[in-house]
Amino acid sequence: MALAGTRSAGQATLALAIALFLGVFLVVPVATVIYVAFTEKGGGALTLINFLDFARTDLFVRSFWNSVYVSAMTVVWASALALPLAYLTTRFEFRGAMLVQTLGFLPLVMPPFVGAVAMQLLFGRNGSVNLLLDGWFDFKIGFMEGLNGVIFLQAIHYFPFILVNLSAALRNIDRAMEEAAQNLGSHGLRLFRRIALPLALPGYIAGASLVFVKVFDDVATPLLLNVKEMLAPQAYLRITSIGIDDPMGYVISVVLIGVAVATMWASAQVLKGKDYATTQRGGGGLARRKLKPRESVLAYAVVILILALVLAPHVGLLLLSFATVWSFSPLPDGYTLAHYARVLDDSSVYIKNTLLYSSLAAAIDVAIGGAIAYLVLRTRLPGRQWLDWAASTALAVPGVVLGIGYLRAFYGVKLPDGTPLAALWIVIVLAIAIRRLPYALRAAYAALQQISVSLEEAAENLGATKARTVRRIVVPLMTGGLLAGFVTSFATAAVELSAVLMLVQSNFDAPLAYGLYVLMQTPAGRGAGAALGVIAVIIVAVCMGVAQLAADRSQRARGLDI
Amino acid sequence: MSKAVGIEIVGVNLSYGSTHVLKNVDLAVRPGEFFAFLGPSGCGKTTLLRLIAGFAQAQTGQVLLDGQDVAPLPPWKRDVGMVFQSYALWPHMTVAKNVAFGLEERRLPRAEINRRVAQALDLVGLADYAGRRPAQLSGGQQQRVAVARTIAIEPKVLLLDEPLSNLDARMRVSVRRELRALQQRLGLTTIFVTHDQEEANTICDRIAVMDAGIIRQVGTPMELYENPANLFVASFLGSANILDGHATGDAFEVVGGMRLPLPRGVVAPTGAKLVFRPQHASLTSSVASPLHGPVTHREFLGATVRYAIRVGDSEILVDAPFQSVGELRDVGDPVGVDLPPQRALYLAA
Amino acid sequence: MVRLSAVVTTGFALGLVLAAGAAFAQTGKVTVVTSFSKDVTGPLKKAFEKAVPGAILEVQNRNTNAGVKFLEETKANNQVDLFWASAPDAFEVLKGKKLLSPYKPKATGIAEKVGSYPVNDKDGFYSGFAASGYGIMWNERYVKANKLPTPKEWQDLATAPYFDHVSISAPSRSGTTHLTIETILQGEGWDKGWRTTKEIAGNLRQVTDRSFGVPEAVNSGQVGYGIVIDFFAFSSQGAGFPVKFVYPSVTTLVPANVGIVANAPNKAGAEAFIEFLLSSAGQEALLEPTIRRLPVRPETYGKAPAGYPNPFKDKNLQGLLTFNAELSESRTAAVDTLFDQLITFQLEPLKAATKALHDVDAALANKDNAQARALAKEGHDLIAAMPISAAQAASPEIRAAFTGGKQKSARQAELEQQWSAFAKEKYSAAKAKADEALKLVR
Repeated sequence: MALAGTRSAGQATLALAIALFLGVFLVVPVATVIYVAFTEKGGGALTLINFLDFARTDLFVRSFWNSVYVSAMTVVWASALALPLAYLTTRFEFRGAMLVQTLGFLPLVMPPFVGAVAMQLLFGRNGSVNLLLDGWFDFKIGFMEGLNGVIFLQAIHYFPFILVNLSAALRNIDRAMEEAAQNLGSHGLRLFRRIALPLALPGYIAGASLVFVKVFDDVATPLLLNVKEMLAPQAYLRITSIGIDDPMGYVISVVLIGVAVATMWASAQVLKGKDYATTQRGGGGLARRKLKPRESVLAYAVVILILALVLAPHVGLLLLSFATVWSFSPLPDGYTLAHYARVLDDSSVYIKNTLLYSSLAAAIDVAIGGAIAYLVLRTRLPGRQWLDWAASTALAVPGVVLGIGYLRAFYGVKLPDGTPLAALWIVIVLAIAIRRLPYALRAAYAALQQISVSLEEAAENLGATKARTVRRIVVPLMTGGLLAGFVTSFATAAVELSAVLMLVQSNFDAPLAYGLYVLMQTPAGRGAGAALGVIAVIIVAVCMGVAQLAADRSQRARGLDI
Repeated sequence: MSKAVGIEIVGVNLSYGSTHVLKNVDLAVRPGEFFAFLGPSGCGKTTLLRLIAGFAQAQTGQVLLDGQDVAPLPPWKRDVGMVFQSYALWPHMTVAKNVAFGLEERRLPRAEINRRVAQALDLVGLADYAGRRPAQLSGGQQQRVAVARTIAIEPKVLLLDEPLSNLDARMRVSVRRELRALQQRLGLTTIFVTHDQEEANTICDRIAVMDAGIIRQVGTPMELYENPANLFVASFLGSANILDGHATGDAFEVVGGMRLPLPRGVVAPTGAKLVFRPQHASLTSSVASPLHGPVTHREFLGATVRYAIRVGDSEILVDAPFQSVGELRDVGDPVGVDLPPQRALYLAA
Repeated sequence: MVRLSAVVTTGFALGLVLAAGAAFAQTGKVTVVTSFSKDVTGPLKKAFEKAVPGAILEVQNRNTNAGVKFLEETKANNQVDLFWASAPDAFEVLKGKKLLSPYKPKATGIAEKVGSYPVNDKDGFYSGFAASGYGIMWNERYVKANKLPTPKEWQDLATAPYFDHVSISAPSRSGTTHLTIETILQGEGWDKGWRTTKEIAGNLRQVTDRSFGVPEAVNSGQVGYGIVIDFFAFSSQGAGFPVKFVYPSVTTLVPANVGIVANAPNKAGAEAFIEFLLSSAGQEALLEPTIRRLPVRPETYGKAPAGYPNPFKDKNLQGLLTFNAELSESRTAAVDTLFDQLITFQLEPLKAATKALHDVDAALANKDNAQARALAKEGHDLIAAMPISAAQAASPEIRAAFTGGKQKSARQAELEQQWSAFAKEKYSAAKAKADEALKLVR
């Protein structure tokens, strides 16, 4: 009994520490900002009248349903893009799988502002594609018009999430399930549809719900496409209006958080008892077969087509970074290296800061996300689910709200020499980390679910303490999932802007995204902004490649080829 | 039911990479037989089964189903029903949908599907469980659903991959009897993979004993027991006493000096050992028997008493029927072991 | 004894250093929060640091809204010396929240008024240092490809050929645009001013949420025409984009301002910066092509290249009215919200009605029909209708709705809902009239 006592004492301490972290760096700052939603303007009395107003305002209700529509359709289209690739890489011995793996995550790394500008130049009403279509065939396609434009951009952006998720879910299927179906006469696409997809569905839903929430809460993309009648942009516009102290922005923030929590809860309910992947014995994934030459050509064609589409923003970005002038024409007027030359001096500071902030943020995310996943899945502490939900709400909080909250909460705190706490760059790191925590948490959660408890119990049986078991057994086995979490956190942290904008106080502390933002304020800065964006993407890609290689090597050394 | 078919394996060699899993396997399963692949883990029995089902490819040799070479056929075209060790029931479908699957793949009309599903479930005694999901069933019930799923399509051949290994001991006995009864009723050629000799002995018509990718002997359970072809089969089925030794002239000299006369016409192969079953030998008080030694251990088993006797350097077991307490030998008693010559087997490895 | 003298010496030395520090205070780090781009801050920073040796200008680039919020949140331990942005509205907010300290610049030779606007805040909390004019910018390739006309006046933008080709930023998001709209309202009167605004708005392709969104869209060719501030157009041209710009004959000049933040760590340095901006050197720096602002020091125009707009000489930049800052103040939230609720968030219905009316006008040009004409007029009137009058807009009740004061007639959300419902109803009625008229003519 005493042993059990110390065991849960250790766990309880960990849980409290995490709760404290989340409290100080998420809950309190956000609360100081959005409590306004619950008060009467000017009076300060507690009231729910603002929420009533929200429901009665046409604009907000319209925006709400637009957001739901866009989020749902994004999941649909991102899945449509991911499905063929997942099918090809899990079902066949396909060398193009390497291509998919290395390039497939790039859409996640889309620098702010300049990515959307590049997309407009390619797919906009007078972008390359439409100018050509109009010239040759006399019609245009409204890729980037209104809500469809948002769906288009978001589907491309979040397609890697779905791809990784779907592939993992397919790989986890017990091979006997497939063989049984083949034995009974089924094969090929029909088998995939009837057996593989339904079994992969629960795992897929976990990832899809994350994408739904993220798109629902995304401020930047709709605004860049000038779509304002969605919930998150409405919140942002109201919060950042000068002079009008409008509680509605914060009311909408509360609604955003509410929808996020509701979605995560609903998906957890749907998944209860249906996580087939983890209750199966065999794993082993679907059997892979070689592609016949004709099929191989088709497969490569599909892969290249889809990759071309999802990498279009980066292609546009690249073109823009070398362009002299690109206006109302399919391709730039001319090319130059001047933009890169221009950003080269400043960029070393930005690069250093970006690498530092993103790695630290990602490390924090993986540590805390892993800890929360462990506490939720392996302990019986009361209220541990709240840690999960609290961390997940970070998805829904607009970056500007977090930024303001941090200023409000920490600027008053002074260090011994008088500088405010919020002026330290570590606060920027924490803001970035908190906003990315849900990704790492979900990845850690999925990884831990795959590991049987008996593996840990065996270690404890042989004398290892819980802590040692975690270090020697659990963490190595979770490495694949933790790496995925690290990679997503890192990639998206590198291009984080909204919270950074509030908190950066000197060029010296600024990351790439900020430098980019500053450049994008002028017409002449567009090329340089694109150059900086390309640098950001390359850096992230290189770091991810290195991390992947290092992890692969250490896994192989331990015989744990994941 | 469709006519029962025979299965022939001819000259099959199968390797995974550098591991040679099946070595020159030749086998013929007669139509309507309940045939067992029996052997320790790693002997290749499951691989051989999967070869027949189409989930493994042999480098050389043929697999003939009803005289036809099935190598060019993918698994979904072979019409061999396989029950997997894990049952592989699809958790997202009800029992009825699971059972209906193969029929739906064959595009049968809905009415026909429903009829055959009901029939199959009835045959395995799970007619009332059609609407349940696999997660709601016990292990035994899941296994029966897996069987129903396979027989619903009326396959040419039934393949069972260690179907009883996930059941508890009591269930194993009753389920194997049911499987046997079902097979008899349907007249299906059935191959049953197991590592448990009791299962193979009790319900199978013939057994192929396998070791390290080679078929050591094929025969009925009784044949294998009575006339094992080699040491491996002898020790795998039932208990056996094995004594090292060599032939000298017309006797077999056991290591330790004792000699057993070889009957006329019996030749011990080179490297052979003396093999006999505990119940074929009897104890005498006379130490003049070629095999003799002190009793080292005695086990009372109810109808029999098992004695362990030190003969030379080895210990042999002799089972004697229990008559009365007075006739029991004690530990330390010197005894002679009488072995009828026809019961002495000289087997090479 | 030795100890004591050591202490005294150290103390004395410390005191010296501190005093020296105070003397150097006007040099050292001067922190400014600004919405101006690097194109502007870069050259000015260089010139400032040259003019005041030892001073280092630390630029924190934030958009105006974020800048105001930042100052608000950090006031307990303010580390910023200056706020430097375009339109006065942000400064008014800061002034209201007591986040600025007053300063009367010592520089002489600065004009009192530029265009219609007074250069400095009457209470002295912020000073104007430059002005810019509003005009129309267009993308040549776009216009050529779509065979569109070249604009000259604001009214042109309201005509049929410009339908779905124009862009503007929302007054609620761009202080300078707000001033432009307010100038129209003051110049033409409330009702006529709104009519004009809505007629142009009916031709809009998009309303952006940041000022730079307009020139950016025109530069890329996503939109044909933009209502922009002049320096955006000129810097676009400077960057090589195929765009042109024109000042309409009635041009709004909007000022750019700078103010000292309350409790500034380096007040002396902040003051030095303001003086620099208003000095000849600073004002001349504004003429640089990357900056291209209009100085508020009339003599600086002597150094300007030929053709450079001169608000003190050019007729169209003189301003036909004296801008009533108090009136603007009193209804600023109402105007912003009216624009958003009647135009920004009702753009599709407004455009639909406008298009229908354009079609009617085109049809009437071929074949006149009195009844149709009357219906079309009704349609135009419906579009131009306003939910509140000028008096109401400036009234304490409406103001209180936005500030949360006790006198409010309704909550802000309720007002917004009322106004947006009003607009929706009117626009669909206008379209109905137009459709009816069209049937008569065809």
